[in-house]
Amino acid sequence: MPEEYVIEMKGITKVYPNGTAANQDVDFSVRKGEIHALMGENGAGKSTLMKMLFGLEQPTSGEIRVNGEKVNLTSPTVAISKGIGMVHQHFMLVPSLTVAENMVLGMVPKKSGLFIDAKKAVEITKEYSEKFNLHVDPDAKVMDIPVGMKQKVEILKALVRGARILILDEPTAVLTAQETEELFKELINLKKQGYTIIFISHKLNEIMQITDRMTILRRGRSMGVHNTADVTPEKISRLMVGRDVILSVQKETACPKEEVLRVRDLEYVNEWGKKMLDKVSFSVRSGEILGIAGVEGNGQKELVDMLFHLDIPNAGTATVNGENILGVSQRAIRAKGVSLVPEDRMLYGIAADATIEENMISDRCDAKRLNKGLLFDMKAIHKEVDQLIADYTVLCKSSRQKVGSLSGGNIQKVVVAREFSNSPCLIIADQPTRGIDVGATEFVRKKLVELSRSGVAVLLVSADLNEVMELSDSLIVMYGGRVAAYFEDTKGLSDSLMGEYMLGLKQQTPEEVRRVCHE
Amino acid sequence: MNKKRSLMFTLVRGTAAILIALLVATVLIFISAEGATFGAKIAQTGSALRQLLIGPAFRNNGTVSVKNLTDVLAAMIPIIFTGLATCVMFSANQFNLGAEGGIMLGAFVSALVAVYFPLPGALLPIAAVLLGGISVGIMMLIPAVLKAKLGVSEMVNSLMLNYAVMYFIKYLLNTHLADKTKGQIMTYEFQPNAAIPQLVDNGSKLSWGFVVALVAVVLCSLFMYRTRWGYATRMIGINQQFSKYSGMNVAGIIILSQVLGGLLAGFGGGIEMLGRYTSFNWSALPGYGWTGITVAILAGNNPIYVPLAAFFISYLNKGCSLMSTYSGVPSQLIDILQAVIFLFFAAKQFLARYRQRLVVKSTEEELKLAAAAAAAEEGGAK
Amino acid sequence: MLKLFLTPDFFFSILRISAPILFATLGAVVGEKAGVSNIGLEGTMMVAALFGSLSTYWSGSWVVGLLVALIFGVLVSMLMGFFAFNLKTDIILTGVAVNMIGSGGTLFLVKVITNITEGKPLASTTSLITKKLQIPAVEIPLIKDIPILGDILSGHCLLTYVAFILVFVTWVLLYKTPLGLNIRSVGENPNAASSVGVSVLRIKYIAIGFSGLMAGFGGAFMSMYYAMGWSLDMVAGRGFIALAAQAMGAGEPFGSMLAVLVFGFAQAAGIKISSVGIDSNLVSPIPYVVTILGLVIFALVVRRRVKRQHSSAALKATE
Repeated sequence: MPEEYVIEMKGITKVYPNGTAANQDVDFSVRKGEIHALMGENGAGKSTLMKMLFGLEQPTSGEIRVNGEKVNLTSPTVAISKGIGMVHQHFMLVPSLTVAENMVLGMVPKKSGLFIDAKKAVEITKEYSEKFNLHVDPDAKVMDIPVGMKQKVEILKALVRGARILILDEPTAVLTAQETEELFKELINLKKQGYTIIFISHKLNEIMQITDRMTILRRGRSMGVHNTADVTPEKISRLMVGRDVILSVQKETACPKEEVLRVRDLEYVNEWGKKMLDKVSFSVRSGEILGIAGVEGNGQKELVDMLFHLDIPNAGTATVNGENILGVSQRAIRAKGVSLVPEDRMLYGIAADATIEENMISDRCDAKRLNKGLLFDMKAIHKEVDQLIADYTVLCKSSRQKVGSLSGGNIQKVVVAREFSNSPCLIIADQPTRGIDVGATEFVRKKLVELSRSGVAVLLVSADLNEVMELSDSLIVMYGGRVAAYFEDTKGLSDSLMGEYMLGLKQQTPEEVRRVCHE
Repeated sequence: MNKKRSLMFTLVRGTAAILIALLVATVLIFISAEGATFGAKIAQTGSALRQLLIGPAFRNNGTVSVKNLTDVLAAMIPIIFTGLATCVMFSANQFNLGAEGGIMLGAFVSALVAVYFPLPGALLPIAAVLLGGISVGIMMLIPAVLKAKLGVSEMVNSLMLNYAVMYFIKYLLNTHLADKTKGQIMTYEFQPNAAIPQLVDNGSKLSWGFVVALVAVVLCSLFMYRTRWGYATRMIGINQQFSKYSGMNVAGIIILSQVLGGLLAGFGGGIEMLGRYTSFNWSALPGYGWTGITVAILAGNNPIYVPLAAFFISYLNKGCSLMSTYSGVPSQLIDILQAVIFLFFAAKQFLARYRQRLVVKSTEEELKLAAAAAAAEEGGAK
Repeated sequence: MLKLFLTPDFFFSILRISAPILFATLGAVVGEKAGVSNIGLEGTMMVAALFGSLSTYWSGSWVVGLLVALIFGVLVSMLMGFFAFNLKTDIILTGVAVNMIGSGGTLFLVKVITNITEGKPLASTTSLITKKLQIPAVEIPLIKDIPILGDILSGHCLLTYVAFILVFVTWVLLYKTPLGLNIRSVGENPNAASSVGVSVLRIKYIAIGFSGLMAGFGGAFMSMYYAMGWSLDMVAGRGFIALAAQAMGAGEPFGSMLAVLVFGFAQAAGIKISSVGIDSNLVSPIPYVVTILGLVIFALVVRRRVKRQHSSAALKATE
C-alpha cells in the first residue's frame, strides 16, 4: 500500500427502508494523521455516511476497513473499540452532571469497590485536558458551561475512550467566531499528536483553513477527493452546490403590488448567546415570491420561528399589512392571513394519529362556514375536505384515514392543502419540498407559483438551491445571520456566483442589500 | 392498515386481554375454592366461574334474572359519568385523576341542596345535580389553571385534591351538617321530592339517572367529535405543538377539558346520591373515579364506547359479588380482574408482533394496488 | 395552645408519622431520577404490608416478615417495570392498576389466604400481630439520657431510624456511586447514557426496583408497627403524598425529607388538635393543601429563574 489509510470505505450504498438512497457507491478514504473534510449540502449524504462509520447505521452494500482490517460496525460500542469516536452535533451530555462525571460515564473509576472515585475522575479529566490542550473545568456542571466547552468535553469523551479517529459533525455550527478559532487550534494540535480527524462542514473558509484533503458529496454520490491546497474555493463551491437536473417551472413574470410582509432590523440571540439574526430587513410584496437561499444554520430557521411566534426576537419589527406579528399568538397571526408550511412537518405540520380530515381543518375549525351553531357542519367539512383532497391530489383511500399512514409526499400535500387554501395573503414556505418525492415536489412548486400569481405574497425558504432559483422572482442569500446578497431577478444567476455568496466568499454592500426593502 | 384489519386487531387484542384476566381469575378461584379433594375443588371452581360469568344474567334454573340485570345497569350510572370525565380529560392528554374526589364532592353538594334548598317538585333534584356538577367544575379549575399557566403537574395536584376534598367533607359531615339523632355519621334526610324517580321499582335503584347517563354519553360524543372545542381537545391530546401552530387556544382547552371532566364527575355524584340514597353518609372516597379510568381505557377514550365498557365492568362486579355469596370466593376478585384487563388493554406493545404482521400485509397490498394503478395509468398515457 | 405543641412527645410523633411517608418518598425520588414516575407506590405499600404482616405471624419473627415485605415490594415494582418498559404501558396507568390491586385486591388476597391458613376468612390481620411480633422500638444509649432531646429521638421503631438513615444512603447512592450516576444520566438524557454503553432498560429496572424496595419498607412499617396489622386502605394516600413530597423537594433526598417532615408536622398537629376536641378532619387536609401551594411556589421560582437566564443570555450577546 503506497499510502497509509486508517479508514477505507469502498462502494458504500445505503438505501433506507422508505426507499431513499442516501449514499450511492461512495468511496471514502482517510489517511492517518490528516484532517479530512467531508463536504456537501444538506441532504447530500454526509451524515448517513458518518453514521455508518460510527455503527449507528449499517450499509446496504460496500465494505469498511479500519487500519486495513475489514470490520463490521454493528454498534457505536464496536466503533469505539476500533478507535473511532464521534462528536455529535447535538451533544450527548447530561446537563446536571459535572464535566468529570460526563467524561467517565459508563466507565466510572471506583474506590473501595463501591463508590465513584471523584478525585480520579477529575484527575483523568485534567490529564486528558492538559495532554490535548483542551481546557475544561472538571467540577463545573455541564449546564453551566458555554457551548464551546461542551464541545471540548465531547471531544475529550471520545479521546478518553481511546479514539484515534475523530468524527466531528458540523462542530462550528453552534460556535462563535472566537470559539471556532480556538477549536481549530486544538484540532491542529491533535493532528500533530497523530490523531486523524474527519471534519463535516459546509463552511468553505473553515475547510480551506484547516483541512488537508476533502471529499465532496452531492446527492449521495462522491464528487471526488481533492487536496485542499490544490483547489480554489470557487471550484469547491461549484462541485458542492451545482445543480443536477433543472426542473423547470413555467411562470409568468411577476408584477408585484403592495408590500405585505415588512421585516426590519430583526435580531435574535439564541440561548447559548450566539447571534443568529443580525439586523435582518426585507419586504415581500403581494404577487411575488421572495426566496431565501443559504446553507442551513445561517439564520433561516430562526427567522421563520420569529415570524410565526415559535420564538421571540431580541429586537426589530415585523408587520403584515401594517400590523405587528411579533410575539402575538399563532391564532392572531393566522387571522391576519399568514400561512406557514413548517420545516418540521411531523412536529408542527400534522397530528399523525388524527385523520386527514381532522388535519385539514385545524386552522379553520372555528370558521362560520364549517359550523352550525354549536356543532360542526359535517356536510360542509366533508365537502371542503374532499374538494381539497381532489384539488391537491392527496393519494388516500378516504378522508378518514390517519395522516400518519400516508407517504411523506402525501403528508406534505395535506399540510400544503390546508396552508394554501384558507385565503392567505402571505405564505411562508419553509423547505416545502424537503424529503418528498418528485411528483409531490413538482405539485407543491406549481401551486406556490399559481398562488403568487393570483396575488399572494410568498416567502420561500429553501436550502435547495435549485428550488429557490427556479421558483423565486427575486431572492436574498443569508449568511451568518445577515442578508448577504439581494438579487432582484433570478434569471441569469449562475450557480457558482450563488455558491460564493452562500459560503461567505462574497458579500454585497449594505446599500445593495437594502434594495430588498423597496423603499 | 385498513379499517377491517384494525378492527380485527382491536377485537383479538381485547379478547386476549379478557382471556388472560379470566385465566388469572380461574387460578385465584381455584386456590380459594373450598373442597377437601382435588375433584371437589375443581367442581367448586366451576360453579364459582359460572356465577361470575353467567350469574348476572341468568338464574341457576336458566331463566333470565331481571333483578340481577337491573342491578348491573344501576351500577353503571356513576362509572359512566366518571368514565366520560376521564375520557374527556385523557383525550386532551391531561392525566387528571380527580374524578374520584370529584364524584364525592358532587354527591355531597347535591345532598346538601337536597336537604336544605326549599325547591318545589322536580326542580330540586335538577338544581341539586347541577350545583353538584358546577362545584366540581370549579374544583377542577385548580389543577387545570395551574397546569395551563404554570405547568404544574395536574396529576399530583388532582390526587392531593381528592384527599383535601374528602377530609373537608368529612369535617362538615362530622360537625355542622350532621344529623345528631342518628347513630351513624350522616346528613339529615333529603326532602322527599329530591329523589330521582326509579325506572324499575325492584330495589335495584335503577333510576332515571341511567337515562341521563346515556344522554350524557351522546352529548359527550357529540362534544368530542362534532364540536370545534372537542375537536381541539383531541388534537391537543395527539400533538400539542401542532395545535398551537394551527392557532388553537391550547391553554384554554387544557382548562376546559378538566373543568368539563369535573362537571361530568360532579353530575355523576349527584345522580348517584339522589338516585340511590336518602341521606349522605359516605365516609371515604367511593372508588368510582378509579373505575372510571378503567372504563375510559377500555373504551379507548371514546365516549360512545363508555356504556359498553361500564356494562362490562358492572357485569363482572355483579358476577364477583354473586360468586362470593354462593361460593365463598371473596368479591374483591373484581379489583384484580379489573387491574389485569386494564393493564393489557393499556399495553401498547401487547401483541405488537401480530399487529406488525397485519401492517406489513396491508402495506404490501397497498403497494401492489399502487403499482397496478401506475401501470394502468402508464398504459393509458401511451 | 403553644404548650400543646411544644412537648417532646409531639416532636416524637412527627418523626414516627413521617417515617412511612419518607420511605415511599425515597422510592419516588430514585424513580423520578431515572425518569420513572411511580404512582403505584400506594398499592405496592399495601401489598408489602399485607404479606409482611402475614409472614410475621406465620414465622413468629418480624425479621422474616420484613424480608418478605421487601421482597414483595420489589416483585410488584418489577411487574410494573415489565408492563411499563417491555409492554410499553403508560407508566401512570401501570401505577393506577397496581393501586387497584393494592386496595381491593389485597382484601381478596387476605381473605383467601387466611381462609386457607386460619380456617376462616379475615378482613384484616390486626388480630394476628401482637405486641410481641411488632418491629421493636430501640432506645439509643447516651442520647436517651439527654433531657427533651432524648425523649424526642430515642425509643423509636427500628425502621424509623432506618428511614432517616436511608435518606443519607439514597443521597450517597445517587451522588457517590457509579449506579447513581447512571440513574441520573438515564433520567436526564437516555441518549447520552446509551451512547456510552449504559443500558437504559437495566437502569430503569433497578430504579423502579429500588422504589419498590422502599415501598416494602413503608408497608412493613405500617402493618408491623404503626397500625399493628394490615387492614383495608391503611396506607391512606401516603404513597401519593410521597409523590408530592418528591416534587416539592425538587427530587432531592434531603429536600424531599424536609417536605415529608412538613406533612408529618401537619398530621401530628391534627392528632393533637383533635385530642382537645377540634375535629381532626379540619386538620388532616393541611398536608394536601400545603403540597398544592408548595408545587405552585416551586413552579413560580423555576419560571423566574428560566426568565432571568434568558434575559442574561441576551444581555451577554449584545455587549
